[in-house]
Amino acid sequence: MPTHDAVVIGCGLAGLSAGIGLAEGGARVFVVGKGMAATHWTHGGLDVGDVAKLAERPGHPYALLADAVVPAVEAHLARLDAAGLPYRGSPGDALNAMPTAVGGLRPAAIVPDAQSAALDPWDDGERLLILGIGRFKDFWAEMAARNLRTHPWPHGPAEVRAAVVDLPWVDRRHNLTPMDLARMFDDPVWRARALERMRASLPAGRWRVGLPAVLGLDRHAEVLAATREMLGVPVFEIPSLPPSVPGARLWEALRGRLLAVGGGLQWGFPVVNVERAGERIVAVHTEAASRTLRSVAAEFVLATGGLASGGLRAHADGIVEERVFGLPVESPPQREWLADDPLVEQPLESAGIRVDANLRPTGLRNVTVVGSMLAGMRYLAERCGDGVAVASAHRAVQVISDRSAVAA
Amino acid sequence: MTFSDAASRDYPPFSTDACIKCNVCNTVCPVARVSDLFPGPKYEGPQAQRFRGDGSQSPDASVDWCSGCGLCTRACPTGVLIAETNNRARASMVATEGSSLRNRLISDTDLLIRLGVPFAPLANFALRNRLARWVGEKVLGVHRRGPLHNFARRTFSSSWRRRARPAVEPGPERAVVYFHGCAVDGFEPDLGRDAVEILARNGLEAIVPRQECCGLPFISNGLYEHARRKARANLSVLADYARRGYRIVGTSTSCTHALKAEYREMFDLDDADARAVADATWDICELLVDLHDRGQLDTRFGPMPTDLPYHPPCQLKSHGIGTPAMELFGLVPGLRAVDSDHDCCGAAGTYGLKVERWQIAQDVGRGLFDKIRASGAELAACDSETCRWQIEASTGVPTRHPITILAASYRAYVDESARPAT
Repeated sequence: MPTHDAVVIGCGLAGLSAGIGLAEGGARVFVVGKGMAATHWTHGGLDVGDVAKLAERPGHPYALLADAVVPAVEAHLARLDAAGLPYRGSPGDALNAMPTAVGGLRPAAIVPDAQSAALDPWDDGERLLILGIGRFKDFWAEMAARNLRTHPWPHGPAEVRAAVVDLPWVDRRHNLTPMDLARMFDDPVWRARALERMRASLPAGRWRVGLPAVLGLDRHAEVLAATREMLGVPVFEIPSLPPSVPGARLWEALRGRLLAVGGGLQWGFPVVNVERAGERIVAVHTEAASRTLRSVAAEFVLATGGLASGGLRAHADGIVEERVFGLPVESPPQREWLADDPLVEQPLESAGIRVDANLRPTGLRNVTVVGSMLAGMRYLAERCGDGVAVASAHRAVQVISDRSAVAA
Repeated sequence: MTFSDAASRDYPPFSTDACIKCNVCNTVCPVARVSDLFPGPKYEGPQAQRFRGDGSQSPDASVDWCSGCGLCTRACPTGVLIAETNNRARASMVATEGSSLRNRLISDTDLLIRLGVPFAPLANFALRNRLARWVGEKVLGVHRRGPLHNFARRTFSSSWRRRARPAVEPGPERAVVYFHGCAVDGFEPDLGRDAVEILARNGLEAIVPRQECCGLPFISNGLYEHARRKARANLSVLADYARRGYRIVGTSTSCTHALKAEYREMFDLDDADARAVADATWDICELLVDLHDRGQLDTRFGPMPTDLPYHPPCQLKSHGIGTPAMELFGLVPGLRAVDSDHDCCGAAGTYGLKVERWQIAQDVGRGLFDKIRASGAELAACDSETCRWQIEASTGVPTRHPITILAASYRAYVDESARPAT
């Protein structure tokens, strides 16, 4: 196979961002992903966490990346904006309460435009209507509203109420997934009838409406605009169970951008073999129907994710394995992997690869490590995973571009 | 095919234990995208698999609506062999409940060619005749607008046998085994001739041993016993060549995928013969790119200043070899090839022929058809035959194998240096 300037392993937020950045700089980039990225499991927002505070923690990725966060997030949001998927908010913004599908509140600042109305300050007397969709089993408006009423919500709405609307045709379907609904909203004819029914279900008074995140997929911008216009009140999406429609939109926007700037992408096949010469990687081999596909490159970006995405695997004997290059993994001792309470932060989350200021791991001179595989972060508890992903991708692009500029 | 992650390729259903119920497979399924009859790969695979014991049938007949594109397996973040599991579930359903005459007939391409080619003028008249197609739909269940290609006047293999051949078969460094598949044999023999010409131009003789249908249509229709017979017949011929170091080259990404993967995954034929053949099998564009990487490809392509929408078929994507045709198109001066970036054309082998599925197949491919029509191109390209026929029938744009386009480009080459000075 031809020589690439860079091969990116992993096609999640970090991998696609790195691939896009490199391709925008004119590099020949090939992104290989094992399967669909973790974007489809997330709310689609961009959580950067408390950058200043985390940067002071020794060993945290932000200790290396703090100055990259703002330019990286700005570049990322500009790309999404150009792709027709605008986001609101910026890294310095204060965190506000965002209702979740089960009626909890999570702190958020940078969210897709479709979710942004949830973060606006609540006026005196302004009320929240959680509007569910009949027969849609991934979003229970009554439950969400009940939990939100019992949850402390300072400066929140004056009242939270639930309503359920029956949409046309829905009762004729066997199945109703968030993707199904999103695609139904893409259809202008069905959408017009659905929005009519939704409007009819609104109670009188000043309401803000929270809906399951199903407002279109390929034609999301059009659906969102039509929904806002038709309902005539502020509307925001609430991501429901996976698959996450906002996550799917995000992945599609990034994938489209990568292809548009000339990058290549193959997903469906993990790296199963690596060719190494001393401290350099020569090629990676991805699994194939018979012989492996050999991809030769000058630089490799490791963006395979942490334990959840399968970039790391924890074995019963206490070993945590990095599965592409077999890099040494920094992790707590096995007896401390898990907390007694499954619903709190788990120490094993912090496992990852230790890197130098150029994101190079020990012993490999043409590999950079990006995203949630980096050691020392707790991407769930610290809500810093997205920020680390885009900032490390941004830094890796700089490092690789500088190096090839020197080489040239 | 992400075998390394989950259980093993020996028995794909075991891999369903690795499912974390994330639903990602359902987001990429082209059939579930357009039809509510198929609830999606997760429900059919990891969910329903829990209710399937050895020898028992699928708990849900809806698994039969799977088109077998394989996108779910590739999307799975945890390596579950979803499409393979669902294909086995269908086969076990067919084994207990039987198959329709229609499915057995349209799967048996060797039989269709034996019947159709000798009477090609008549058969082709019937294929183009609205009344005959109407009768075919009512009697057999083959949709009257299902994309069927005209029969060739003579099979590729019979023409080949009449050719003068060298007395001594050239060795594996100067020859490859050409697996032409049914499409070239009975419907598109010109593609076979183009392939042979391109191989020869690059110093490779074609050896065309006796071969049968790869069996993929039977696999897709759950007729594993029939498929197994085809597989054994092919392996008995091909394994010997593979062991002697010959590469086996195909122009159909479906047949070559069957040789590479399906024989081993689907019906427990993972023996030394099957492995030797799998390792020796190449898609023809994959082989040409490999030659190019070694500096051995004749790159004297002539100019083809035209727009060319190219659709990489699902079967090609399951090869895991990237998109070699796009790399080759890049060598042709003036050719503006554009990847369709669309999941599936809908044809899925015999799926789009069936009267009850034709509309689903059209809906799956609609975005692709729209793109190709909107491009204004006069020609499109695709590596798999039934996809080509589907795209051509649904867009009206002639759709050819990349090899046909490359052969035309080779022929268009003019050696400027050899031209007499004027």
